[in-house]
Amino acid sequence: MLPASVTVTLFFVIPVMMTFVFSFTTMSSDTGILGNRYIVTKATILDLTEHGIDAALVRQLGHKVFRFNDAGLAKIREIGLDSSLVKEIEEKLSGDEFASEKALFAALKQLINRPRSFKHRKAISKSVVNTITNQEFRTAAAFRAGLVANGIKVDDATFGQLLDLTNTSWRWTTDNYVELLASDFTFKILANTAFYVFFTLLFNVGFALVLALATFYMPSGQSKFFRAVWLIPRISPSVIYVMLWKWFTFDSGFMSYFLGSLGVEPENWLNEFPWTFVIIVNGFVGASMGMIIFASAVLAIPADVLRAAEVDGAYPMQQVRRIILPLMAWPILFITSYQTLSLLTSFEYILLLTDGGPGFFTTETWALNAYHTALSNYFGNLRYGFGATLAVVLVFFGVALSLLYLRLFDFKKLVAEPLIEN
Amino acid sequence: MEIRLEKFSKSFGPVNAIEDMDLAIGDGEMIALLGPSGCGKTTTLYAICGLHRVSAGRIWFGDREVTHLVPQERKVGVVFQSFALYPHLSTFENIAFPLQIRKESNADIERKVKDIANTLHIEELLGRRPGQLSGGQQQRVALARALVRRPDVLLMDEPLANLDAGLRLEMRSEIRRIQRESGCTSILVTHDQVEAMSMCDRIALMHKGKIQQIGTPDEMYHQPKNKFIAGFIGNPPISFADGVVEDGRFVAQGLSFELPDQIKGASVSAGQKIAIGVRPEYLQPDFATAIEGEVTFIESQGREILYDLKLGGGQIFRSIQSSEQTCKLGDQIHWGIDVNSVFFFDEQGVRL
Ligand SMILES: Nc1ncnc2c1ncn2[C@@H]1O[C@H](COP(=O)(O)OP(=O)(O)OP(=O)(O)O)[C@@H](O)[C@H]1O
Ligand SMILES: [Mg+2]
Repeated sequence: MLPASVTVTLFFVIPVMMTFVFSFTTMSSDTGILGNRYIVTKATILDLTEHGIDAALVRQLGHKVFRFNDAGLAKIREIGLDSSLVKEIEEKLSGDEFASEKALFAALKQLINRPRSFKHRKAISKSVVNTITNQEFRTAAAFRAGLVANGIKVDDATFGQLLDLTNTSWRWTTDNYVELLASDFTFKILANTAFYVFFTLLFNVGFALVLALATFYMPSGQSKFFRAVWLIPRISPSVIYVMLWKWFTFDSGFMSYFLGSLGVEPENWLNEFPWTFVIIVNGFVGASMGMIIFASAVLAIPADVLRAAEVDGAYPMQQVRRIILPLMAWPILFITSYQTLSLLTSFEYILLLTDGGPGFFTTETWALNAYHTALSNYFGNLRYGFGATLAVVLVFFGVALSLLYLRLFDFKKLVAEPLIEN
Repeated sequence: MEIRLEKFSKSFGPVNAIEDMDLAIGDGEMIALLGPSGCGKTTTLYAICGLHRVSAGRIWFGDREVTHLVPQERKVGVVFQSFALYPHLSTFENIAFPLQIRKESNADIERKVKDIANTLHIEELLGRRPGQLSGGQQQRVALARALVRRPDVLLMDEPLANLDAGLRLEMRSEIRRIQRESGCTSILVTHDQVEAMSMCDRIALMHKGKIQQIGTPDEMYHQPKNKFIAGFIGNPPISFADGVVEDGRFVAQGLSFELPDQIKGASVSAGQKIAIGVRPEYLQPDFATAIEGEVTFIESQGREILYDLKLGGGQIFRSIQSSEQTCKLGDQIHWGIDVNSVFFFDEQGVRL
């Protein structure tokens, strides 16, 4: 009991909880996943004006002063310059201030022992520069101290605003959900997903049932052969299987070649009918599993029951509808819900086949979109928080659908009372 | 409706289950297919209802040849040995199934199901599923389902095998009564000879895929055609002994007696090897033809007592007596047999 609950918690409950937690953050590859960081960057300075921060303050924040005070001189001694140069700086520049790097460099040029290399000039500039720009602070207090050290005075309200605007780390937010609701793509992707799951499922389960029943009424040698053939998609590696399909539908592939001999112009058929192939490819993979379960379920029906149906006057179609299918309610429920969940959440075949294309979001499904958002973004900014939001919605749909299925198939009635009483 | 099998054969690959069987069953008659396990009873039944395709021969229902008809078109009610109720349907739906398949109106179905349920005393069970019924109840539901559409032919494959002794007795007469009332031609498969004798008009005794003899229970008992039938019918079973004909006498080790006239007159010749069969009730203390032996087994069956008598030649003869026990184990005694009731068989086992 204990190991089981630990495993369940560790590998199932915690990941879902974490996803839920992440969905309320702005985490992305820009923010990183560590805590607060306050930086005034050039970009933030532009932003500040837009957010109505006083122009004088903005100027101060962007302001740089090169000051040869004790702290600056101490740093210069650390660089490792010629001692004559250091001495000359101490003598001639101590207490000076320059408003720009250009002016500083000009002053350095006047020295007898002037630094030859750019590297050294830059090092001196860095030692004496005083600014808030591009300094990284881990706490609000440090940020405040930094401002004070640079002689920048802000009132508390403005400081609060500054904290907000300069914080480049992730934040708690519900904006992901708002964005999801507001986005034009949400509906498109939702519709894609529903379309994909419904039709693949139909193909899957329907085809599996037809195969199982057809092979049931076949001589045993033939049925074994057929079942083995239908297992091929399942057991071939997905990349190879999809490659075969791509080759098959390519504009110089087998299909075009074959249709070409009938006078049809060669086409990239996958681009022409993306959904058809997405559904067929996934359907074939899923059908084999359903077929195995269904075939064994049909064989588990007592032979005498089917014989009785036969002498009672039921022809094969009636036997299927009135005896076989009702007796297979459980496996059908199992396969349908299992396949729904796996179709909702797995996307590798679509990823390999169309990657959501052709064009924009044509075959993009929810899970694939979550993957694209969080882990493989075209824009380079991986949005972990928003991806987690997408995943949470997916989990929610999965649970809701499972409950619906149990309802639909009258779970309580299906579970026979145990024969062994406690 | 009359059922006729003409030269019916059935083989499963190399196995010949039935060979050249001829069988005619009269309209409204109930016949028992009796025989040891594996003799082909179920195979015959399945051929009649169409579940098995015949390998050769023809099957007739009255004037209609049904040899190549599918089971759905034969109008045969079958009670399977396993009952084969539909597990997902209630008793009512089980019984209604053959009617629903034929698209009868709901009112008709309701009425017919209620009727047959009344006859079989299962009205209270109509709402239950097979899993919630006892074996005997399931058996009656299976019978109801077979009878509800008034079949021309009723086939029952060991329907009573799963029942306890009391219920079996009750169902015997019940089935017979319903069969008489509905007047359908019936075949009852069983390997219980008492069941066959008490329920059916005639018995067809099968052995190794062949019908050995057809007749009334009485004929089977008193006029068996061969040694197999004599041995199969009768409980406690008949005792056999081998011997030869000498001077118009049957001679075996420790046993010799004058052959009755009708056997002497028949084609036995001196030196011919024959066998005799003596039913236990024809070996009694006071019968004429004396035999001598040792009592090796005594079993009291309540009203009757069963003895085994071992003769000088080692043959065991069985006797059943209704009087008080007259001897004890190990006693050497003289009893007698009724020669006129002894069966004589030639070397092939055919009765003389
Ligand atoms: N499907 C089959 N394939 C091969 N042989 C079979 C098949 N069905 C029956 N047989 C054989 O045919 C013979 C007759 O079988 P059948 O089932 O008719 O016996 P039965 O008289 O009903 O026996 P029981 O009293 O045990 O039910 C047996 O030897 C059996 O092994
Ligand atoms: Mg049988």
